[in-house]
Amino acid sequence: MSALTLIQVLASGVATGCVYGLVALSFVLIYKATGAVSFMQGELLMVGAFAVLALHEAAGLPLVAALVLGVAAMAAFGALLERTVLRRTPGPGHLTALLLTFGLGMVMRGAVGAVPAASHAMHRLPLPFAGASVQLGGATLAAEHLAVIAATALLAGALTLFFRRTRAGLALRACSEDVQVAALMGVSVAGMHTLAWALGAGLAAVAGVLLAPVTFVHPNMGLVALKAFPAAVLGGMTSLPGALAGGVFLGVVEAVAGLALPEGAKDVVPYLLMMAVLLLFPGGFAAGLRGRP
Amino acid sequence: MSPAEGGTRGIRSAHTLAAAAALAVLAALAVWALGTEYALAQAAFVTTWAIAGLGVILVVGQCGQVSLGQGALLGLGAYAQALLALRGVPAPLSLAAAVALAAAGGWLASLPGRRLGGLYFAMSTLAFALVVEEALVRWESLTRGAAGLAVPPLALGGWVADTSLAQALVGGVALALAWFACRRWVASRVGRAWRAVREDEVAAAAAGIDVARAKTLAFVVGGGLSGLAGALYAHWIGFVSPEQFGLMLSFELLMLAYIGGARHLAGALWGALVVVALPQGVSLAVERLPPGLAGAAGIETALFGAVLVILVLLRPGGLAGSR
Repeated sequence: MSALTLIQVLASGVATGCVYGLVALSFVLIYKATGAVSFMQGELLMVGAFAVLALHEAAGLPLVAALVLGVAAMAAFGALLERTVLRRTPGPGHLTALLLTFGLGMVMRGAVGAVPAASHAMHRLPLPFAGASVQLGGATLAAEHLAVIAATALLAGALTLFFRRTRAGLALRACSEDVQVAALMGVSVAGMHTLAWALGAGLAAVAGVLLAPVTFVHPNMGLVALKAFPAAVLGGMTSLPGALAGGVFLGVVEAVAGLALPEGAKDVVPYLLMMAVLLLFPGGFAAGLRGRP
Repeated sequence: MSPAEGGTRGIRSAHTLAAAAALAVLAALAVWALGTEYALAQAAFVTTWAIAGLGVILVVGQCGQVSLGQGALLGLGAYAQALLALRGVPAPLSLAAAVALAAAGGWLASLPGRRLGGLYFAMSTLAFALVVEEALVRWESLTRGAAGLAVPPLALGGWVADTSLAQALVGGVALALAWFACRRWVASRVGRAWRAVREDEVAAAAAGIDVARAKTLAFVVGGGLSGLAGALYAHWIGFVSPEQFGLMLSFELLMLAYIGGARHLAGALWGALVVVALPQGVSLAVERLPPGLAGAAGIETALFGAVLVILVLLRPGGLAGSR
């Protein structure tokens, strides 16, 4: 195996890992701010990809407008779900939120699957760079991989600015540190919960759009979110940069495992890694990076 | 101990009587509406799911931990039973092996999370379940992969349980035994330790309870019950394949315990009734829709999810919970 192949495999691994990382980020963001374990991030991702697709193909909007509008609509949808259903979660405990979000996810998957146009054909989001490739010092890199990596970096920067420089970001951080103190400082905890779900749904939708060129858009594309759990655990479960880093690491490990190990091992490696991390480093790989979202 | 479990004997026996009467009425209705053969076949499934439900209730309701891997443990039991039965191992031996394998699986799945608890159990059992599912698909020389295995009917000595009546009987006896064992456990020192861990881990540790050991024990016992249920299920359904024991089954079992009421053993039976009846009710409802409508499978999934959401919101204590 030449060094060039390795670079290409690594690039594709980092790109896939970015999608895992974004989904893990949305999961950890919701978990930290509201304490709820969301099992429907994959479905939000899928609905987000379909929303952008529908706005572009069926409604005829230009791609950029469809993208912005679709992601905004998904954020609003997340906020709406929080206001109407998730807020009513009776009592504490992981189990209630887990079952509730799983049920909501089933409703979303079933509803999209019941639309014949969505479930009977494979769809591709016609992004301008799809299929193109870039020559970089002899290595041929797929343009969509580079675009995914660039978009993720951009998004991570924007999120950092939001959490460090805005009042809402500060309030959200305060809320995830200590709900009671945050409330005493005048932070609207209920409002922050709504914001966290809106951000989580929006992030999942972005991940869906970024995943669209790599896989097709179909009702079961949300399965990719199962990889977000190992990513979140690797990052220490409560660290946003950790979740993103965990996702990228996982993508690379998976790509390398696909090269070096027999077929099928690739799909198991993330979960074995997660169990090993829980046993050996319960604080997560990113424990050193923790402390600040 | 929570107040709901400390009810007076009179109230409890009245509850038991009412539940028994309701069950008898339901059984009579089922036989009348569906025919004896069909009702008995369904009864075999209900009793088997109730055994699996008891396992979930011990882990979730008594010990207060979350398991997302019960479906895979059921799968381990089912595959162990199927493979051993195909090789002619007598049923008492193979059933014991299935229970032991699933109990070992429960131990292994809970190992990474046992000092962390809470969400980490959900994560480690989820990882375990996904690894088991993939292993069942890939280990083709043993499991025949995604194509699945045909399972012969259950044979006890010279007697073969190949009619619905025999299956319902075996299921009922197994459930009764499991129920009796669970009642003993729940009332014993182990059960008190589980409830103490559920209510307050720090206080439980201060009272001299080995918290990590109590949690592990719950997963081992819960896994053994799942293995028994899986072994019986393999015989009733006559065919096992990896996708039957995926994440969806784990969630169905959680839903079973939650709907029935995770704090009471009786919740397993009520939950099993709902989980067996609900998909059939949903597909009956979907059949009534105009035939030209495409995507019936999608509508079924959506309806199932909607019922789950509504039940969680409206009946947080479950059907058996009086609160």
